[in-house]
Amino acid sequence: MSRKSFPSLATGDDLRDLSQPGYYAGYSTMAQKKGWDQATRNLVTERVDKIPPIRFFSPQEAKVLGAVIDRLIPQDDRSEARTIPILPAIDERLHKNSLNGFRYEDMPPDQEAYRLGLKAIDEMAQSRFGQSFVELAVHRQELILKSLHDGKPDPEHDAWKQMPVHRFWALLMEDCVTAYYSHPWAWDEIGYGGPAYPRGYMRLENGLPEPWEKDEQPYEWNAPADSLSEFEEAGIPPEHGSLHGHGGSH
Amino acid sequence: MPHQLGPMQTLPSPMRRFAENETVDYCIVGVGSAGGVLVQRLARAGFSVVALEAGPFWDTEKDWVSDEKGSHELYWNDLRITGGTHPLALGANNSGKGVGGGSVHWAAFAPRFHPSDFRVYSEDGVGVDWPISYWDLKPYYELLEREIPVAGPAWFPWGDPHGHPYGPHPLGGVGDVLVRGCTRLGIRSVAGGPVAILSASHGDRPHCIYRGFCLQGCKVGAKASTLITHVPDAITHGAEIRAHSMASRVSLGNDGRVDGVVYFDREGRERFQKSRAVIVSGYAIETPRLLLNSACPGHRHGLANSSGTLGKYLMAQAGNVIAGRFEELIRLYKAPPAHALSEEFYETDKNRNFARGFAIQTVGPLPVAFAKQMVAAMGAWGWGMRRVMMDYNHWATIGVLGEILPWEDNRVELAREKDQHGLPVAKVTFNLHENDKKLIEFGKKKVMDVMWAAGAKQVVQESRFAHLVGAARMGNDPSESVVDKFGRTHDISNLFVCDGSTLPTQGSANPGLTIQALAARTADYLIRQGDSIFASNRRDLAEPGIRHDLSPPYTRFKGNPRIA
Repeated sequence: MSRKSFPSLATGDDLRDLSQPGYYAGYSTMAQKKGWDQATRNLVTERVDKIPPIRFFSPQEAKVLGAVIDRLIPQDDRSEARTIPILPAIDERLHKNSLNGFRYEDMPPDQEAYRLGLKAIDEMAQSRFGQSFVELAVHRQELILKSLHDGKPDPEHDAWKQMPVHRFWALLMEDCVTAYYSHPWAWDEIGYGGPAYPRGYMRLENGLPEPWEKDEQPYEWNAPADSLSEFEEAGIPPEHGSLHGHGGSH
Repeated sequence: MPHQLGPMQTLPSPMRRFAENETVDYCIVGVGSAGGVLVQRLARAGFSVVALEAGPFWDTEKDWVSDEKGSHELYWNDLRITGGTHPLALGANNSGKGVGGGSVHWAAFAPRFHPSDFRVYSEDGVGVDWPISYWDLKPYYELLEREIPVAGPAWFPWGDPHGHPYGPHPLGGVGDVLVRGCTRLGIRSVAGGPVAILSASHGDRPHCIYRGFCLQGCKVGAKASTLITHVPDAITHGAEIRAHSMASRVSLGNDGRVDGVVYFDREGRERFQKSRAVIVSGYAIETPRLLLNSACPGHRHGLANSSGTLGKYLMAQAGNVIAGRFEELIRLYKAPPAHALSEEFYETDKNRNFARGFAIQTVGPLPVAFAKQMVAAMGAWGWGMRRVMMDYNHWATIGVLGEILPWEDNRVELAREKDQHGLPVAKVTFNLHENDKKLIEFGKKKVMDVMWAAGAKQVVQESRFAHLVGAARMGNDPSESVVDKFGRTHDISNLFVCDGSTLPTQGSANPGLTIQALAARTADYLIRQGDSIFASNRRDLAEPGIRHDLSPPYTRFKGNPRIA
């Protein structure tokens, strides 16, 4: 587990070590698993219980990616026992060469993209701050990552001449959110109903909870004051750069 | 354990198996929206048919899950290269693998094309006209709406107004936002369909339970896919569906006619299925890829490519997603993603600075898809991502479905990269042109207006594309198209293409219903032509007349209402 950026600079309530962040206290999708079909129950239970070993990344790459993931999807508010494993899920995908059905013509294969990108991030940390990425203070880690997010790598690095930085960013972010938001603890956090066969839903309109769901109990919270990954006050651009959606909504 | 196709239906057993050296009447490549309908019709009419499917034969209880990440295998995940100025996302975005093909994970919106869609060049001077009219296809729309069947309003006011055989679905939170926003702007909308999801039980299929997992394969069996609507009837009538069979080449005989399909079986062994005719139904990427990979002496640039148009005029629709955050809870994961729409902006409007138009439709991304949308639409990461996702239940999402015109430079070619069988993979190139860009800009703004009018406190949007059609288009002129109006290739008289790739233009309607209607029409033609397809090169373009006696069970006694 990496260092926590909470709570020293957080200005809201103390959000350290929550077993369940989010606005749906007491809601548990896993508590509903008796109502799920067998195939789904097996799959989701295994996702929680069995964390795959690291087989694709070298120990050094795994350390760097682990530190990167801690900033891309920070879990400093989650207790150790309730931290959602992201690195093992990405490693497993690359180890099994589980592709998403396409590769941009200006991108190398996913595995190469990761190796290239992680090496670049670590070398950018060295050349800008004289330390490896893993050893950098959280804020400095965010400075490096924010420059990739903005499509303006600082410092520049040859890797971004071999692959467009915004495509690498999208690859990384999509893999991270796929791991995090496919985990039932994240479903509890956001109040999502989870698997729903054969039971289904009966209250479709007006956002009303099913008998087994919970009402929302919202509260204010602040990310660490110096965090660069919080939305900016000035407002959010209507669209981020040249990214295109991959979600398959319709 | 029986092989389940939904909770109530099982795979007819035993399925006929043709012997290794047996020559069948038809070998069909691909069992998706079109292939499923074709194989069912041809088997019912008494032809011997083998349908090769690259993916698995799904058992919906064992293989499918109520889970986003766990549904990854439903999509065509093998490597493809994508490029151009506006590269298309493939895989989960638009292609299926396995019996049922993309119909397994379509959202199942089932609007018809409008009459104007078939005459785009005549009416607007852009694109190209179809070799058939809406009125040729209308009886097939009505028939397929009863077969799969389609639920929706009794009065659908756009295009050729019509009703739907099954009643509309109850409104979900997102549909409510669409109707509210449209109403406040004076835009007509409909809710509860048209969608190929059951609002009441149908034979051995239960009605919808509103769990929201349409794009992950409907375990309930309420959403139509050819896996459950047509394939079981095909097997009952003696067709063989051969899963895990990846076609590598359509084989050409010495007489200039095709004589079968070479394919790789599950163990990777190369095999040959002999047939009297071949129908390629691999959809807009795999169909041109297979024909290009089938190049041989006399057909150096691919089979059926004397026009040079094979692989060209590929189309995707603009699929921008507009997301709005509301004070109140929406819970967008409930109800089918597809359940309310407006086609008020579908037709060309002389007051706008572009030709053709777009539809406005509900979409319902589950958490992983929604988080990916927030990466693109908001640049969300870190704490920002965690924060916006904690508000997941406050967001509603509405899609633009916009017509992009057919352009020669939007195309499928062969790449240098090879797949696991050593076959060159497809390279897809996609560029937006001026009309497309203006249309997308207008459509995007209009849907953002709808979202604000519905009361959203924040509105963001993500650019994306939906569906794939074209790349082996139909036409009357053999120098400008790949197949004729029945799907027969201009070059080889016993080689057919039947799937979305034959569409000359695409309208702003989801293509699934049209693909199935065209497949039923092609089947009627083949059945009417009978053995002459196998024995002669004569091309008879006479209309076959629609057959109403070849539908799957439970179609009879249903009607298409029309309340004028």
